[in-house]
Amino acid sequence: MKTTFITLIITLITLTGFSQKPEYYQAMGESLGQYANCKTPEDFQALGNRFGMIANNEKEEWLPLYYHAHCYIIMSFMEPSDAKKKDSYLDVAEKSLKQLETMVPTEAEVFALQAMLYTARLVVNPMERGQQYSMLTAQSLGRASALDPSNPRAKLLKIQNDMGSARYFGKDPKEFCGQAADLLAGWDSFVPKSQLHPAWGKDQAEELVKSCK
Amino acid sequence: MKFYLLIVFFLLINALSAQTTISGTVKAQKDGTLPGANIYLKGTYDGTSSDVNGRFSFKTQKSGTHILVIEFLGYEPFAKEINLTGIEINLLIELKETFSKLDAVTITAGTFEAGDKKQANTLTSLDMITTAGAAGDVFGALRTLPGTTTNGESGRLFVKGGDSEESQTYIDGALVHTPYISTAPNTATRGRFNPFMFKGTIFSTGGYSAEYGQALSSVLLLNTNDMPTQDQLDISVLSIGPELAGTKLWGSGAVTATLTYNNLQPYMNLVPQNFEWKKAPESTAAAISIRQKTGKTGMLKVYASFDDGNFRLAQEDLDQDKMIDFALGNRNTFVNTSYRTAINKNWSAATSASFTADADDVTFDGNQFDKELKGFHLKQTISNELNEKVTLRGGGEWFSRSVEQTYQSPTDTFVNQYDNNTFAAFAEAEMYASKRFVTRVGARVEHSSYLKTTNFAPRLTAAWKMDETSQFSMAWGWFHQNPNDDFLIYTSKLDYERADHYTLSYQSAKNGRTLRTEVYLKDYRNLVKQNSDEFFLPESYNNKGSGYAAGLDIFWRDKKSIKNGDYWISYSYLDTKRDYRRYPELAVPTFASKHNLSVVYKHWFGKLRSLASVNYVYSSPRVYNNPNSEKFNGEKTLAYQSLDISWSFLYRQNIIFYGAVTNVPGFKQEFGRRFSDQPDQNGLFKSAAIVPGSDRFYVIAILITLTKKGTENQLDKIQ
Repeated sequence: MKTTFITLIITLITLTGFSQKPEYYQAMGESLGQYANCKTPEDFQALGNRFGMIANNEKEEWLPLYYHAHCYIIMSFMEPSDAKKKDSYLDVAEKSLKQLETMVPTEAEVFALQAMLYTARLVVNPMERGQQYSMLTAQSLGRASALDPSNPRAKLLKIQNDMGSARYFGKDPKEFCGQAADLLAGWDSFVPKSQLHPAWGKDQAEELVKSCK
Repeated sequence: MKFYLLIVFFLLINALSAQTTISGTVKAQKDGTLPGANIYLKGTYDGTSSDVNGRFSFKTQKSGTHILVIEFLGYEPFAKEINLTGIEINLLIELKETFSKLDAVTITAGTFEAGDKKQANTLTSLDMITTAGAAGDVFGALRTLPGTTTNGESGRLFVKGGDSEESQTYIDGALVHTPYISTAPNTATRGRFNPFMFKGTIFSTGGYSAEYGQALSSVLLLNTNDMPTQDQLDISVLSIGPELAGTKLWGSGAVTATLTYNNLQPYMNLVPQNFEWKKAPESTAAAISIRQKTGKTGMLKVYASFDDGNFRLAQEDLDQDKMIDFALGNRNTFVNTSYRTAINKNWSAATSASFTADADDVTFDGNQFDKELKGFHLKQTISNELNEKVTLRGGGEWFSRSVEQTYQSPTDTFVNQYDNNTFAAFAEAEMYASKRFVTRVGARVEHSSYLKTTNFAPRLTAAWKMDETSQFSMAWGWFHQNPNDDFLIYTSKLDYERADHYTLSYQSAKNGRTLRTEVYLKDYRNLVKQNSDEFFLPESYNNKGSGYAAGLDIFWRDKKSIKNGDYWISYSYLDTKRDYRRYPELAVPTFASKHNLSVVYKHWFGKLRSLASVNYVYSSPRVYNNPNSEKFNGEKTLAYQSLDISWSFLYRQNIIFYGAVTNVPGFKQEFGRRFSDQPDQNGLFKSAAIVPGSDRFYVIAILITLTKKGTENQLDKIQ
């Protein structure tokens, strides 16, 4: 009886927030669950805001900042035409990525996301930014795969970029289909370090493979 | 036992009882509600985002005093202390826009800015390269902008009723004394510099900052590329010659060496020419460019080039009624260095220096005419960002110019020369009253050692942003320039020439479409007049000349309406007269045309991997003087028309084919007539039409880029 009560108390203490960490896990878990429900830029902004708030509370955790940047990059891709808006979202993402670079300078996921940011910058105006940002994207992807050659998101972005530029230059993007199929086949063999670590991208890999058929 | 229960009870109370609902609306001070604002209690996980109507609502278990934070991109964060007691809190919150120079109003009166900055540009560096008709000439591309007049027999920039010498070119802050290559009389020149060198361009057609002096009409500011990103070798083979450029990087620096050889002989063998060439233009150029980063923010740039060119052609001498040989040899050495660094958070400094040695050796009909120019420019600027809304800038400059002209006939030799040192200081303050209103106030003082006079030039510009897309700008100022070398070699008893600018401009940019309209008035005074034909006498010159130029410029660019297409239209109306040099009265100058129109269209054909560009130019007839007629500048040239096309084809990622043709329909082009110096026995001056060197000009090129990876290309060059 006595031990049951002690257990209960400990549980309650945990729940009422004497320790911040469980709250962190709960908030992150909830927010990551929200990704599936995000349909519009506004949804992603709300989610990004949520991650921003968590990042403010957890100065030593890099994952909230990572997802904060990720949401804002997606917003830029979703914005239909306003180039200024796209860049302003990317400015927000870039700020978080800069912090991440000093926080976890050896994290492959950060550089893969940085590559995604540069690609988003390029997409705003491919004619004018093509040269500069394709180079930066390639550099970031290079750093990501140097830090972790097995990172599937770095591989995914590389294949997406290669296919995109092949299309732009009038070449056949199908030359990269083999790589896409390999990536998808091996996707689940990459195990994220925790439940909260980045795991996104499998659906996009599936899409790539589908586009090859 | 009871003790534990008590604790549990209190904890439950804590967890369940104090639930407070916080709701409200977030508004922007000017533009209504803000959807998507981030609302949370500081230091907690409780919060939400505002909905489409700016409304929000969330519950919190917390109690006591907390700080409610509201954040939205582009607005000042809002924080408010609230007391959580379980009673619902409802708030109406107004956010204030943050001040950011990036999206604040900018001064656009008279200024065309191009570069890779994020803001909407009127013309980017890429456009300068791909525009048909420009054929890779910086100045050619600028002639598709309003405010410029095309003078086919000159090829130089003529801006808003100003003569070509009233425009100055700066590279990384340092003056370029000889921006154009030397050509035969009445043939079009080109810029000396490869447009691929520059990452950004500011072309100011009036009302520029106090930082720039010694220009009555316009300044062109060219900023060179920063650090290259990889080792590479570029091979270009053009129909007029090959170019080889190699880039090598090291830790914090890079060097690029370029070698160019041009020879028009093979080309001229194929394409009929209107001139009788004895030796086709041939030139060899070598250039080296070094970049070195120093410390965290410093960047040193050095560019040095050596250029040697020559040609010979036969021209009809109208006085002697025979063909005479005209031969020209030019040697040009140019060194440009700049260093800029941030001293600390608020202070930054830039030093730039340039040196030019230019020698033209002209031989005609047994006479020798040599012109040697040595120019030096040193400039130091310092700027202090007092706070986010006020920036102070100041600096000093030293211009040195030494000119020697030697004329050698079979019987006589005349040498005329002068040396001048101009010292200048300037200061200006740029002040933002808000995101919507900015003023720039400045002044400049110059002293010339040769003229022994000092000038003072105040400048004022202001801009007002009415909404997100449109803004008004105005600019006013006095602008001075030393008289032309041709007068200063004979006399030092002259004063600065002066132009006062008044410019009012409106710009609206939205969704890839830009409209600019500008009206201006220029009041010229103290222009040099020559009051006798004895040009070699100092007393032939005075500063009694004057004039005016007024006009309307319209620019429309649309990157959106046509898929994969992009076009811009420039129109300029110009009304100008001046009484200067040897003019007997106030008259329309020969370089001015009333209506100027330029239309550029570019299209990207994805399937063909090609970028095509078309450019149509129209200039209404200009005047010229016929000494056989009573009326000064009373004759009119033909209207000028040209339709140019270019095509770039991406064969492989690192190989590009390029072709361009000017004046495809073969419009008749004639730039007036030249006359004999002396009348014949009937008292008539003989004349001949001034025509271009050929009716059309063709360029074909192959551009190859070699890198370790083999995928980079020169796409940014021509696409």
